Amino acid sequence: MTNLDHGKFTRVTTLFHSLLALDVFLLFFTGYAIMFNSELWWMVTLMGGATGVTALHRAAGLGLIALIVFWMVLMVISPTGRSNFREILPRKADVDAFLQDVQFMLGRTDERHPHARQFAGYEADEVPLLSYVGKGVVFIFAIELLLLTISGLLIWSKTGLMQYFATRTAAMAFVIFHGLLGVIMVMGVMFHIFEHGMHPAFYPVETKAFIPRSMIPESHDEDDDHEGTGIEALELAPSWHSVSTIFGSLVVVGIVSVLMGSIVREGYPVPRELVVSGDVTNLLLTIGINIGMFVLFVGIVLSMYGNVMRVRWEKEMQQRQREGETVADGGEPQTDD
Amino acid sequence: MSYETPDVDGYSPISVLVSAVVGVAVALLSVWWASGFGPFYETLFRVSPTVEGGGVGSDWVAGNTIPSLDFLIALVHAADVIMGVFILFMVFLHWASFRRIAARMRHPNESESGDAVMADGSGSGGETE
Repeated sequence: MTNLDHGKFTRVTTLFHSLLALDVFLLFFTGYAIMFNSELWWMVTLMGGATGVTALHRAAGLGLIALIVFWMVLMVISPTGRSNFREILPRKADVDAFLQDVQFMLGRTDERHPHARQFAGYEADEVPLLSYVGKGVVFIFAIELLLLTISGLLIWSKTGLMQYFATRTAAMAFVIFHGLLGVIMVMGVMFHIFEHGMHPAFYPVETKAFIPRSMIPESHDEDDDHEGTGIEALELAPSWHSVSTIFGSLVVVGIVSVLMGSIVREGYPVPRELVVSGDVTNLLLTIGINIGMFVLFVGIVLSMYGNVMRVRWEKEMQQRQREGETVADGGEPQTDD
Repeated sequence: MSYETPDVDGYSPISVLVSAVVGVAVALLSVWWASGFGPFYETLFRVSPTVEGGGVGSDWVAGNTIPSLDFLIALVHAADVIMGVFILFMVFLHWASFRRIAARMRHPNESESGDAVMADGSGSGGETE
């Protein structure tokens, strides 16, 4: 058996990823409760009305600044960070991987490009640190988070925004700008949840983001030098087909709905409405945006599940160390008994 | 955390600590700046776009469009649509790829040999019995 996941994240990265995810989810829930407040009226109410929602959004914003500055500094001052940064720079192979993925979808090629692979039933050097999607996610989310943080701080700041645009209209425009910018990110996060939750080999969630590399034993047994990926040795979960179909549909509906919502509910120029979004006129949009929020909620659940897996894995590793037992492939020796 | 594992370049605790301190400090400073270097509570709820009568834009008189901001918003709208369509394409691309990959895996009803191991190594691969 090949090692199943080469484990690409360090412990710091897994914890950072979880904290960032929780914080960003909170920002989405509070932010879109404001932007789509007609569609998500229940969410506003749940979080203590407009006052509570804005306070939570600001608290989460403070957390976000702390997290992203932490990460930027860590990337600069640590050798691991600097070498990882070199690894995530886009290459030509990433474009090739994207094109090959299209061909794979169309059935014109039998394998995904190494730079597209999540399933790591390969030699370690065949699989890069991040797939082309992973790189895209890192870059797009990084740019998004930076722009969102800056525009968010400008909205927050009385003097900061006013010194550039001395009207309340400008402040309103910045709120809209900030919200529309976030739509790109919320759509990307929905895709991210789908991609790492619905891969058949990793279903229900890819654990590389939760179980750090240092805890994943890698094996290079002599008996696993077979060609191919080893995917055919894995068993598909019985619920995968139905769950991935349902969840994929929800993701598509969610993405389309927030996209439509961002176009319909623009709220600028100002005189149209006092509030960012209009009244409940479009039932479909209301349902769709709520489905989008449900997708995010599933993301939270999967994130928690990943962390539960890590704890379980940690316990198992400790127990195994006590027993002095080594299982080369990292799998539980369940079939032996 | 001293598991029997191969050499891994982790992050040194000092790097992590320094980064964390800088992160928290910058966050606090930027929010303090956003509050006009004043008391925090005073400006906490300043922008409340959903509060009727008291929110942003509730008492504008004129100048309700600013060309540069108009342009910025139009730009983000365009970005929303372009990225949205692209992200949808990525969803379908991966959905289709996953279905092809899934077709190659062993299906639950055809499990003849019991050496299946879940990808996460959790050992729950045998949950189907």
